[in-house]
Amino acid sequence: MSGSFIRVLIGVVAALAVIVLGLASVGALDPTVDPDTFLIAGSNQFALIVAIALLVGFVAYALVEYLQTRRLDSITRQFDTRTIVLIPIAIAINIVLGQTVGTALKMPVYMDSIGTILVGVLAGPIPGALTGLLANLIWTFVLSGTPFGSPYAWPFAIVAAEIGLLAGIFGYYGFFRSRPNTPTVPLVLGAAVAIGVLASLAYFGILPAYLKGALIGSDLATVEPFFIAIAVIIGIAVVLTAILLVVYLFLRRDLGVAYIVVGGAICGVVSALISAPISAVVFGGVTGSGTDILVASFQQAGADLQTAVLQQGLISDPIDKTLTYIVVFALLGTLSRRFTARFPQGERAVGTAEG
Amino acid sequence: MSERSARRRADGIDDATTAPPPGADQLSEADAAYLAGLAPATPTAYHRQNPLTKATAATMATLGAFVLGGYVGPLAILVLGVVPGAIVAGLLGRLVRLAALISLPIAVSVALVSVFTRAGETVLFVIGPFDATLEGVDFAAQIIVRLFVIAMALGLFGLTTDPRALVVDLERRGVPPRVAFAAAATLETIPAMIERAQTIQAAQRARGLDTEGSLGARVRGVMPLVGPVILSSLTEVEERSLALEVRAFGRPGRRHLLWTLPDSGRQRLVRWLLVGLFLAVAVGRVSGSLPAPL
Repeated sequence: MSGSFIRVLIGVVAALAVIVLGLASVGALDPTVDPDTFLIAGSNQFALIVAIALLVGFVAYALVEYLQTRRLDSITRQFDTRTIVLIPIAIAINIVLGQTVGTALKMPVYMDSIGTILVGVLAGPIPGALTGLLANLIWTFVLSGTPFGSPYAWPFAIVAAEIGLLAGIFGYYGFFRSRPNTPTVPLVLGAAVAIGVLASLAYFGILPAYLKGALIGSDLATVEPFFIAIAVIIGIAVVLTAILLVVYLFLRRDLGVAYIVVGGAICGVVSALISAPISAVVFGGVTGSGTDILVASFQQAGADLQTAVLQQGLISDPIDKTLTYIVVFALLGTLSRRFTARFPQGERAVGTAEG
Repeated sequence: MSERSARRRADGIDDATTAPPPGADQLSEADAAYLAGLAPATPTAYHRQNPLTKATAATMATLGAFVLGGYVGPLAILVLGVVPGAIVAGLLGRLVRLAALISLPIAVSVALVSVFTRAGETVLFVIGPFDATLEGVDFAAQIIVRLFVIAMALGLFGLTTDPRALVVDLERRGVPPRVAFAAAATLETIPAMIERAQTIQAAQRARGLDTEGSLGARVRGVMPLVGPVILSSLTEVEERSLALEVRAFGRPGRRHLLWTLPDSGRQRLVRWLLVGLFLAVAVGRVSGSLPAPL
């Protein structure tokens, strides 16, 4: 058994142990849907336990590696000089684009994570997470005396870290690799899997937030017609995305796009779930950008604040993150392989053949 | 003597407040003058506080305003903590203008979203399908007060602290040099990138790109701007990393910092007191031993 296998095993076991212990110590999670907030009461506790478990798992992994080798090579390797130089540029891209698109154009997307995702893909999950974290902290603390600073960015640092982490993991598994000239059979299979993932993501992850936790086909008598209409619109949007994806896949014959759309949608749903409570509790659900109008309409239709913010996030974030993933995918296609392959994870993430 | 240090001398700034860096006696006079010029301007006692002290004060005021909630808690933090600091720093007017400017757009959003669409019992007035409720006004006012206090606290920190001083101080306290470099380099990168974006925008407009006019036209104009800005910034990575490598950036171990910011035992005590005060308030709030927010 190799040393790295033992490390990963111990990290996973430690994380699972914390989850089991945590669940045992808080007692049974309340699985019922709160009639006032429409949120599952135990879900916030569960999210907290999972976050602590991931942290403990990571620390255990690092500790075992240190005991085995007296170094932390698998982590420090992701921070070569090239990555350290890329991080400030990535943060600047985040801030400059986030300010112009989110605040100036007033569109219901944020576009403030292109740089974070780029670092995650090229350098690895940990530099990606660090870039996200640093970007929001710098935005608030280091830039606070300049016209670019925003005192309201730092509570969302944890969301930005999650975006970078996920991008790094997707990059490690080759989600951002261009796959030109895919043969027909893998293309059809890949398209089917992608549509399956998108559909289940929408069905289990997005729609219940609008239908008081119910799923389509069950009793919807208590749901306001407005939210049923929104759910139908989302359903149509998902179907349209799937059709566009299939058309695009068969025109370009590049299966990479399917990976990108799936990855972006997963990242969007996870980000929405994490950022909604922060936005609701700290800022009363608004960010001063184009997304506020969605919060206002959901609240007007009868949702309480936290639900309205979650509903807004579940629309904005998947769109925003999927668009961002597509932009990063296009950027990586434009960059020379000589450039990308020199980053710690570049060769693995993008491949060596020019697309 | 550099122009900057000459100006600082003319302002009557006492360089003795900056502790002489270790090894300063081995420097030539020109180098010593250059180093002194790097230190941030410190016209008042508040400016002279260690960056970490000011950052701790701003963070604890922010978290405190959030944990206390209501009106009394955040306003107490503002009046007792932030305003005296701003008066000492001689920046009260400028700070209020800055904080108002930063919090105004988001405050308008808060007001519109909460006043008109938040469910409530007491209806104040009705405009079309929207009814303004007392509960909505109350909630919006609380959030706006909190956002203003946060903007004041962080604005005071930003106006009185040279960002480089914060980064150098954090590195001296053990933040990895590579992280400190990333933070400091961001400061230089953002204005450079905006300048680059303006150049590219002018170039694209000369080629007929529509960057004004309708929303659709502006959205179509985003990609021809964003693509070249990002790609040209990324091509710099190569040159910069080579330049850093030949200057021993990858060398392991700590850097010897020539610029040390003054700190004192009293400031350390103040920092821990602020953190302790916040923790006490947070525990009191969670356990319910503090009265409900007013």
